[in-house]
Amino acid sequence: MNATQTPASKPLNTIQAVNLALDEAMRTDPNVILLGEDIADEQAGGIVGVTKGLSQKYGKSRVRSTPISEQAIIGAAIGAAIVGMRPVAEIMLMNFTTVAMDMIVNHAAKLRFMSGGQTHVPITIRTMTGAGFGTGGQHADYLEAWFAHTPGIKVVAPSSPADAYGLMLACIFDDDPCLFIENMPTYWNPGPPPQPGVRIPLGRANILRAGTDVTVISYSRTVADCVAVAEKLSKEGVSVEVVDLRTVAPLDFDTVLRSVARTRRAVIVHEAVKAFGVGAEIAANINEHLFGQLKAPVGRVGAYFSPVPFAKALETEFVPTPARIEAALRATLT
Amino acid sequence: MSEVALPSREVLVDIYRRMTLIKQNDERFIAVIKSGQIVAPYYSPRGQEAIPSALSVSLTDQDYICTIYRGFHDMLAKGVPVRMLWAEVAGRTTGTCKGKGGPMHITHPQSGVMVTTGIVGSSMPIANGLALAAQIRGEKRVAVAYFGDGASNIGAFHESLNMAAVWKLPVVFVCQNNGYGEHTRYEVATSAARISDRAAGYQIPGVTVDGNDPLAMYHVARQAIDRARSGEGPTLIEAKTFRFQGHVFGDADSYMLKGEKEAAMARDPVPAYRKWLIKQGHATEASLARLEEAISVEISAAVEFALSSPVPDISELRRDVFAQEMLS
Amino acid sequence: MTTEVLLPKIGFSMNDAVLSQWLIDDGAPVVAGQPLYSIESDKSVQEIESPASGTLRILAAVGETYTVGTVLAEIV
Repeated sequence: MNATQTPASKPLNTIQAVNLALDEAMRTDPNVILLGEDIADEQAGGIVGVTKGLSQKYGKSRVRSTPISEQAIIGAAIGAAIVGMRPVAEIMLMNFTTVAMDMIVNHAAKLRFMSGGQTHVPITIRTMTGAGFGTGGQHADYLEAWFAHTPGIKVVAPSSPADAYGLMLACIFDDDPCLFIENMPTYWNPGPPPQPGVRIPLGRANILRAGTDVTVISYSRTVADCVAVAEKLSKEGVSVEVVDLRTVAPLDFDTVLRSVARTRRAVIVHEAVKAFGVGAEIAANINEHLFGQLKAPVGRVGAYFSPVPFAKALETEFVPTPARIEAALRATLT
Repeated sequence: MSEVALPSREVLVDIYRRMTLIKQNDERFIAVIKSGQIVAPYYSPRGQEAIPSALSVSLTDQDYICTIYRGFHDMLAKGVPVRMLWAEVAGRTTGTCKGKGGPMHITHPQSGVMVTTGIVGSSMPIANGLALAAQIRGEKRVAVAYFGDGASNIGAFHESLNMAAVWKLPVVFVCQNNGYGEHTRYEVATSAARISDRAAGYQIPGVTVDGNDPLAMYHVARQAIDRARSGEGPTLIEAKTFRFQGHVFGDADSYMLKGEKEAAMARDPVPAYRKWLIKQGHATEASLARLEEAISVEISAAVEFALSSPVPDISELRRDVFAQEMLS
Repeated sequence: MTTEVLLPKIGFSMNDAVLSQWLIDDGAPVVAGQPLYSIESDKSVQEIESPASGTLRILAAVGETYTVGTVLAEIV
């Protein structure tokens, strides 16, 4: 499937979904430009093909393969955004955001506030990550907590191709910087197609599965595991509500708290390291608002506190497994 | 450098107007800081007035600059209103940034001052982006990135020059080499004999100029701006100068060479240029005195305006984090 | 109209300073811009000019340490 076809009514994967969203955005707004390493068709349209066909369709001025220069890539996106463009910059792997931290954290996130609202930075930073391909400690980190902790930048983490499409459109046309996290190992997993041209609102969680006994809150890759565990437990008569955050920051505490107020039990699951992760913020919030009403302490499932290991057996166990998710849910029910 | 035509008398005097505005402004800032009425770290540009003054006369409001914490001269030369600058430094709602940015983040898009940054080197990647937008849109705008000699050693410098070169961006990189990166002398920190030598590594023109010679600076800047505007790509200008007030105001200058500062101050570019203008018949003592008096009055009014303006309400913490106001 | 003479913040990390010398006598007339006193922080010694004209009324003592913003004197 290439970028020149209209959105299909058949299943598509996240690579295709993001490609379609970029195509849709570039087609409707000439201010949308793409920057990143290897993204033009001369370089095969992106390392896994997310930007395939776009430089051919929109030209090499609007779709630019850059030098390997993360600070310069994000800086260029920021400068262009300040004067009204909507750049989508790719940082190939989330670990490489560290090379551009000054531009992302000191500038993109802060220029609106520091300028007193005179300028703003409507950039989208696309990045991929996720353990499972044996890429080791510097190519698979989930770092969303760092950016969620930075006032002024939004953090979005779709769990399905359709969500990736709708959320990407929302990010591009949001007037503030958005960090969009794509999970690498699940790039090729097919899912139902999106509604063409429809943006999914940022900052709103999605209740994927309604339930009454315990709420599990997740985002990105681990959502699918949560749904599978919920299915399994339902056969035992345990009703699990699955909340897919979709946007990590700003976080939809409204939906989360209303759900936990009903079920009185909560577990947060994310692939990121458990310690000091997004789950800690959600748990603290639940504690603040629902302390006397909980039937169990809020549980958290995350990766072990170590760099992503290389050996397959270690890597598989390192991230939240269905077994650990199930154990955490069961622990709230005893 | 070959003999080039002198700019017009209007331009020559305009350069001086900007220089003396910067100098007087600096003197008044120091006086107000010493009176305790404004509390802010102050990175004085005194001694470096000629560089942005001689360059800015070749820019319009539609051209962009990105500057850094030692940037009041760059901003004033580009046209940031004096009273809004003062109000921002005083942390008032009437400042350029509603008091929320402060002196290191002065922003005034109407005069093309798009970003001021407190991070060494960060003016350059963003200036590239402004230039990129102009290039994609087919506009004739130019982006100027101001930075210091210390910044020529940071990664962003190298990434920015490389990218600007491969994309032929309409940007001018202006390194104000005052011989010191914070408290460290140039020779201790920098491997290049001259910063402009580094341009060759990126295959762009590089030129070292006496930044305290307004005419020389004018010509070099004009060439670079014209190059950028006509689509020929970036230039690296190394403008040599000296800062009279140290890294941050209040600095002891024990890290400087003995007598170095005094010698530089004896060659103060502002009175030197003033003298030259009168000697060459481009202005009279009376006309320049009138100009200086008008500036003095403007600055006094700006100080008064700033100190009598309101401070921002705590609710401002919820505004401008995102487009929508935060609820808490 | 009385003008307060406030201890200024000079330099990045200065929070207090030692008042090292009064350059005008208590009760004497002073002109705005005239050197009034000097302070010593761990970074430097600075001479501070008078913010106003009038008669000096000293409040702070030489050799003592004061924090930024302290009223050191008044010009009446």
